[in-house]
Amino acid sequence: MKFSFFHLMPYTHLELESHDWPFPNRYFDPEKASALYRTYVESMIHAEACGCDWVGCNAQHFSPYGMMANCNLIGGALVYPTKRVKIAMIGNLVPLNNPIRVAEEYAMLDCMSGGRLVAGLMRGIPHEYLAYNIPPGESWERQREAVQLILKCWTEPEPFGWEGKHFQYRQVSIWPKPMQKPHPPLVISASNADSAKFAAEMRATMGMVLLADLPSGKECIRIYKETAKANGWEPTPENVLVGMHTCIAETDEEARRHLEQGLKYFDQVLMGGLQASQRIVLQKTRYFENEESRDRWKSRLDKRRTLTLDEAIDRGTVLCGSPETVVAQIRRIHGELGHGVFNFTVKVGTLPDEVIRRGMELFRDRVHPHVRDL
Amino acid sequence: MQPQQRKVSLSSGELTYFVAGEGRPILYLHPAGGVRWTRVLEGLAKSFALHVPVIPGFDGTSAHGAVKSMRGLAGLVGEFIGKVAGGPCDVIGCSFGGYLAAWLTAEHPDRVDHLVLECPAGFRPKGKGKRPADAEALRKLLFLHPEKLPPDSKPVEQEVANRKMLPRYGYTPDTDEELLKRLPSIDKLTLILHGTADRMFPKESVQLLKSRLPRSYLVYIWDAAHAIEVDQPERMLLLVESFLQRSEGFMVNWGTLAVNPG
Repeated sequence: MKFSFFHLMPYTHLELESHDWPFPNRYFDPEKASALYRTYVESMIHAEACGCDWVGCNAQHFSPYGMMANCNLIGGALVYPTKRVKIAMIGNLVPLNNPIRVAEEYAMLDCMSGGRLVAGLMRGIPHEYLAYNIPPGESWERQREAVQLILKCWTEPEPFGWEGKHFQYRQVSIWPKPMQKPHPPLVISASNADSAKFAAEMRATMGMVLLADLPSGKECIRIYKETAKANGWEPTPENVLVGMHTCIAETDEEARRHLEQGLKYFDQVLMGGLQASQRIVLQKTRYFENEESRDRWKSRLDKRRTLTLDEAIDRGTVLCGSPETVVAQIRRIHGELGHGVFNFTVKVGTLPDEVIRRGMELFRDRVHPHVRDL
Repeated sequence: MQPQQRKVSLSSGELTYFVAGEGRPILYLHPAGGVRWTRVLEGLAKSFALHVPVIPGFDGTSAHGAVKSMRGLAGLVGEFIGKVAGGPCDVIGCSFGGYLAAWLTAEHPDRVDHLVLECPAGFRPKGKGKRPADAEALRKLLFLHPEKLPPDSKPVEQEVANRKMLPRYGYTPDTDEELLKRLPSIDKLTLILHGTADRMFPKESVQLLKSRLPRSYLVYIWDAAHAIEVDQPERMLLLVESFLQRSEGFMVNWGTLAVNPG
């Protein structure tokens, strides 16, 4: 089992109140953000010494939910202070960006890190389409075309042109090209049937960064494996990434107390504006290709809001407790899903950074030795 | 614009051809299925004098006794250009026609100006690509969007008969080593087109071609199988017209404020 230390880099200096979307940036204090960035990057570097195999982050726009408009900048900050861990960008929001730029920046990170990049090619959650003024109804078309174009950028031996529906480039020849051949490993979001199929078609690792519940996770994995087989390949356990909020402390009680406090901020402040914008997108556009996928997404959001921490732990969608408790939780979830990469979202709302740091040391000393061979 | 059917007498026999439009002459060499009047050809005929010879033995015409090889066909097409177009002209070749266009340019460079090779045969690495077992399998390999086929497409039987002519000319979909050796000497500005979903001739074919042709540009057409003209006519037409009109300038995004957009 591989372990990934995943950071959302939230802005944590806000009052406990909800806002509509877009979240007014008059509340943003650059001095405080500067200190947060330093703390967050240092904690990601520290994760390497705590037995983690990947350090990861993602991109978000127009919201205190995450301060990474471009996660590749954080990737660049991680490259030289680390030696071993994979730099997991999970990832760039492909339909919203210039695919050539994504291919170039990822190739830079792969070369700079000596071939340690894990390249996430994400479709983005609905509200991101408002931020970059991209029609949500085009999201799948743009995603499919952009992913193919990025792969071409990395693998074509000669300059080439691309005449597509959403992207046109008369001649492309990127410098640098990635170090890993034929290209860096891919992670593609696979939290519903359509995306699980697409990830398998692209021979990418399927990513469920915030697992909704075990049965739906199992179903996505089944669809992913079935589609992979139909496309002539067999995924390994490491092709399945499962992630969840994670808090490890000396005792169960302490871990719960910290995570509950962090979740309060996460749900009331960080998720507030996003939920409002997502409702608008989902009601008014064809972001999802069918009603089933849309309803599943909405029910995931609703479920998340109404679950207590105890219920979430019982359902296997949160890791929380003493090292011994977390070992048991990891074993149980692995027993259900059979995945090979566990993605820890560690900075949940205002969960204190020193608690996270200590939690990772507990992971290194008292969790990792018992689960690394799963 | 309705194409007119004409005939011309060449040294090896009579050749049927179609002509449509006015302006600078361009030559289109058809694929193994014969002449299909696609939206790309319709579009080209709005800006150029489009000439489409029917290769002897295709579409119900008679073969020429003395023409039995790709080199022989190249000689016949070279003679046609001299007689009908009056001098060198831009040449577009599709699949089998692309293979022939490459032979024409290697053998008679004085007859060719710009060259467009649309999913050309003749450069497929051995063992790569799909070989259709029957007509239905062939159709699936040719078209990603068969619903876009022109309504007056010719009968399947005629296409099958056309394909039976291929061995006469020593046609090979796989790599023609003799032609491959001659590619580096071709100095014509060349546009190579390939559909991203072409499984008949995989991308390695056009990558090989691109690596050997010194003045060539390779462009992938998204969401197209082997029959690019049917699957994505608008994209192909835009690209080919830009290339034929602007040469290397086709790489420039001219926008609407260009000094000399035409």
